[in-house]
Amino acid sequence: DSHNQYERVGADVTMKCGSMDWDAAVTWTANGTDIDESHLNGSYLILKNVDLTQSGQYYCYESSSWHLKYQTYLRVGTPPKEPVLMCRSNNYPKGFYCSWHLPTPTYIPNSFNISVIHGTREMVCEKDVFPKNRCHVRYLQVFSTVKYKVTLTVTNALGKDSTTLTFDEFAIVKPDPPEGVVAKPVPNNPRRLEVSWQNPSSWPDPESFPLKFFLRYRPLILDQWQHVELSDGTSHTITDAYAGKEYIIQVAAKENDIGTWSDWSVAVHATPWTEEPKHLTTEAQLTETTSASTSSFMPPPTTKICDKGAVVGSGAVAVCWTAGLVLAAYGVLFI
Amino acid sequence: MAAAGSPSATLRRRDLCSRGIRLAGKMRSDVVDLLDAYVEQQGLDASASVAAVEGVPAAAAERWDEQTGTQRLLENLAAYRAFRALLGQMLEEQQEQLGEADAALGRALAAVLLQVSAFAYHLEELLRLESRGPPSEEGAGPPPLPHLSLFERKLRGLGVLRELAQWAVRSARDLRQLAKPSPGSSLAPSPADSP
Repeated sequence: DSHNQYERVGADVTMKCGSMDWDAAVTWTANGTDIDESHLNGSYLILKNVDLTQSGQYYCYESSSWHLKYQTYLRVGTPPKEPVLMCRSNNYPKGFYCSWHLPTPTYIPNSFNISVIHGTREMVCEKDVFPKNRCHVRYLQVFSTVKYKVTLTVTNALGKDSTTLTFDEFAIVKPDPPEGVVAKPVPNNPRRLEVSWQNPSSWPDPESFPLKFFLRYRPLILDQWQHVELSDGTSHTITDAYAGKEYIIQVAAKENDIGTWSDWSVAVHATPWTEEPKHLTTEAQLTETTSASTSSFMPPPTTKICDKGAVVGSGAVAVCWTAGLVLAAYGVLFI
Repeated sequence: MAAAGSPSATLRRRDLCSRGIRLAGKMRSDVVDLLDAYVEQQGLDASASVAAVEGVPAAAAERWDEQTGTQRLLENLAAYRAFRALLGQMLEEQQEQLGEADAALGRALAAVLLQVSAFAYHLEELLRLESRGPPSEEGAGPPPLPHLSLFERKLRGLGVLRELAQWAVRSARDLRQLAKPSPGSSLAPSPADSP
């Protein structure tokens, strides 16, 4: 009967060919390939400093008859290191979940055991079907000042390790990000954007546990965010947007008094309303202006740095750097 | 629905709830500030674990979302009456201390005590609307304090304030439950309240 044999990476492994004598003539195979005699000590197979590639099915045959005398499935791996554990309540006051993972793979099967203690009471953490390394606890009590202690032990054939988290009920409350964030331009308002969103669907009782929100926005071309904190409502109008610039907008949520801010929502993009697209006809407009030989010169609107009012008259020295070169060129024409 | 009787009672109830919610919010914020000042002034470790203190009502509630409105009001009222007495005791002890910082702490304690009293009043009014009326306060004082060392008294004070901060969070949410226009907010148990 085949069985699993677990060995640590780097270990020296000696396999006996079942009940065969040391001096019996045997042939060993690994994953279907004959093993060279240099690895044998009599009928014993010696594997020194095993690595992961040596995992596999090993057979030992009596050389003369080719009778199978021994088989084993070698699994090379490592004992588990301290697991990483986190617990969070995104559905307060219903309960919380804990999820975990190993910092490095062990390459062999692991089992996890979790215990949740609240004061003197042991609580049940029901394992989730998906994702696998997660379980959830239903609160039996809320508004308690007694801490929770969660211990996770990971065990495999080569060893075990554990980690413990201790926390207050409120400390792990963190809602999911707001959903359905939508940002729209406001007609006839070149500096406004209307943003709306919904409470995360996982938050069970927003009436009794209202959320407050944090909005952040910036034009794509700048790195600095603007922030607005909103104590109620699920909409906000941005009134200081730069005209014509595309914006990126995100929202986060937090219970009013309890816990921490959610992650940022999915980002949405929006550009404030602009008038009839003058800015699309750059070259054509420039040509028209010069041929009309008017004394005022409008720099191309793509020149971001200047206001319209900064440049006046033909031949005048322009304040604006970029437009100045163009102006100087046309100025020469008009003098 | 037992108490929703007259429109004016409903309005009064809603008004008391929303004022109560705001008061609870302010109270929580002030208690948190008071806790910080208390910990510093008393030379305590903010993360010190304090065992359940006798006579201090625990904010922890089992099956909180299934409670009836009446249960919520009665539990809250019993708690804030207890805190009124406990804070009164703490204030007396504090007033025996000399020093400016102690005086400032005393003033902060007094301010919170006032809010606790005001909140208790809100709860009594809500129960009166229930035509059930608040229970009497006979014999409702805190148990006589065993003789405690100065340090033990400080730890007890920490326990009182921590639990009060927790209550303030709970109470705002209790009142929000009460203010909901649904069977869950009815002040008398109804068949609709299933476990």
